[in-house]
Amino acid sequence: MFDRDPAGVRIELRGLTKHYPGQPAPAVDNVNLDIPAGELVVFVGPSGCGKTTTMKMINRLVEPTSGEIRIGGEDVLNLHPDELRRHIGYAIQQVGLFPHLTVGENVALVPKLLGWPAAKVADRVEELLSLVNLEPGAYHDRYPRQLSGGQQQRVGVARALAADPPVMLMDEPFGATDPITREHLQSEFAKLQKKLRKTIIFVTHDFEEAITLGDRIAVLRERSHIAQYDTPANILAAPADDYVAGFIGQDATLKRLALLTVDDVPAVGPVPSSNGLPRVDAGTSLREALDTMVAHGSDRCATPSGVLTYTALCEAVGTDGAKTGHEEVAAGDR
Amino acid sequence: MTFGEYVVSRWGTLSLAAAEHALVVAIAIGIATVVGVGIGLLGFQAPKVRGASLALSAGILTIPSLALLTLLIPITGLGWGPTLVALTGYAFLPIIRNTVTGLDGVDAATVEAGRGMGLSAARVLLKVRLPLAWPLILTGVRVSAQMLIGIAAIAAYVDGPGLGTQIFEGLARLGSVNSLNATLAGTLGIVVIAVLFDAFFFAVRQLTTPRGLRVRP
Repeated sequence: MFDRDPAGVRIELRGLTKHYPGQPAPAVDNVNLDIPAGELVVFVGPSGCGKTTTMKMINRLVEPTSGEIRIGGEDVLNLHPDELRRHIGYAIQQVGLFPHLTVGENVALVPKLLGWPAAKVADRVEELLSLVNLEPGAYHDRYPRQLSGGQQQRVGVARALAADPPVMLMDEPFGATDPITREHLQSEFAKLQKKLRKTIIFVTHDFEEAITLGDRIAVLRERSHIAQYDTPANILAAPADDYVAGFIGQDATLKRLALLTVDDVPAVGPVPSSNGLPRVDAGTSLREALDTMVAHGSDRCATPSGVLTYTALCEAVGTDGAKTGHEEVAAGDR
Repeated sequence: MTFGEYVVSRWGTLSLAAAEHALVVAIAIGIATVVGVGIGLLGFQAPKVRGASLALSAGILTIPSLALLTLLIPITGLGWGPTLVALTGYAFLPIIRNTVTGLDGVDAATVEAGRGMGLSAARVLLKVRLPLAWPLILTGVRVSAQMLIGIAAIAAYVDGPGLGTQIFEGLARLGSVNSLNATLAGTLGIVVIAVLFDAFFFAVRQLTTPRGLRVRP
């Protein structure tokens, strides 16, 4: 099958349509989309727009009415659905861990189905639990009911990754947790994906989450029509239409700043010593740097490599902050 | 003769009747559980089987036990035959209904995750739904057992095994020597059997409920 190479493979959707019998309009209408190998593509759109249905057609939990799905060049509609699903990781918002099995048994399920030798399965379970930051010794023999929501989500991700599938489908996998846990899980997962480079389709209605995690974002409107499909930076810089702009919200520029870090901006001047400038660490997002600057009433801050100015910030997102912006900040600088 | 003296003097008869009473109920419950859970599993995927089996088992329950036992005589003769057939028939409804309800009641997300991971429909049914529904199925079996212990007393009318004989003999000779003792011995014996069965099912429940469902967060 397409998973001889556990690194991501390309997914192609061609004319993908789902028309439920008795419904006047199709739920998903003629979707054409290319998902490059090893990228995380976020489907974002309002509830009921068909994003989940589109995703579920890829592992055939929903059978398409018409159209074509190719994973790594292979037509998935020709494969046996159960066999296909064992090679696609699947994580959902409600997690759906099996409550009668231990954490270890939950994670081991698909590798066992695929007939892995017991020793290899055991090693893999240990590895995965460590990967999602659950101490194997402490969690292996616990039952799902004994875990917090965030821990369950981690096990859910580990279980989806179990057989090292090249493709993962994730439907709001961090949706059911509190904002703090959620943010934590997101940043952990972003790091994990950087390492694993799976091809991931990630469904959410949270645009912030889409920006944080997505290599690309497909903004969907009703019937899964693609309003815009591009990188987060491009969508924020140039929304295709009012619908996309509405989805982004009022603070598009701030969101773009959040995508860049102080390392992306050429710093001016020598590395400052202790001349009273507010300091930010390497890897800090420009949004946080701006926050630091505003909080200190300063138009510049010190980074490990030099001085970051407000003007440089504005240039980084392509606006002319040299005059107006500078004055505004200067005016606020008391 | 006091009740105590009666029990001591008739201990052989009473204990044999009690053992037979428990045995006939146990056999009927055993058959009904295997068949009933099987029908429940089949009926889960075939709505027609489900509807028909539930209607039929409910229908059986509406037939008065005395009538059913008597009607069975031409087919099964007297004694154990009609008793076993009737008791098994009565046991189906709670078992089938709880099986179907339990299988249905499994969290949709758990099932979806299972299907999404590539478990076949049959495997989801047997490895996910059945273990999760098991406590409820067992409750159905327990209800059936309690019901059968009572009904089994009526089987004395068709010369069936069990403590019913004591009760009916006592009632038939009401006012004469030991008639009250016989009735009382039969009745109390049935209560004791019911309590023992309940304790048995409690133990079975503890031993067979998946540990993951018993743990406290």
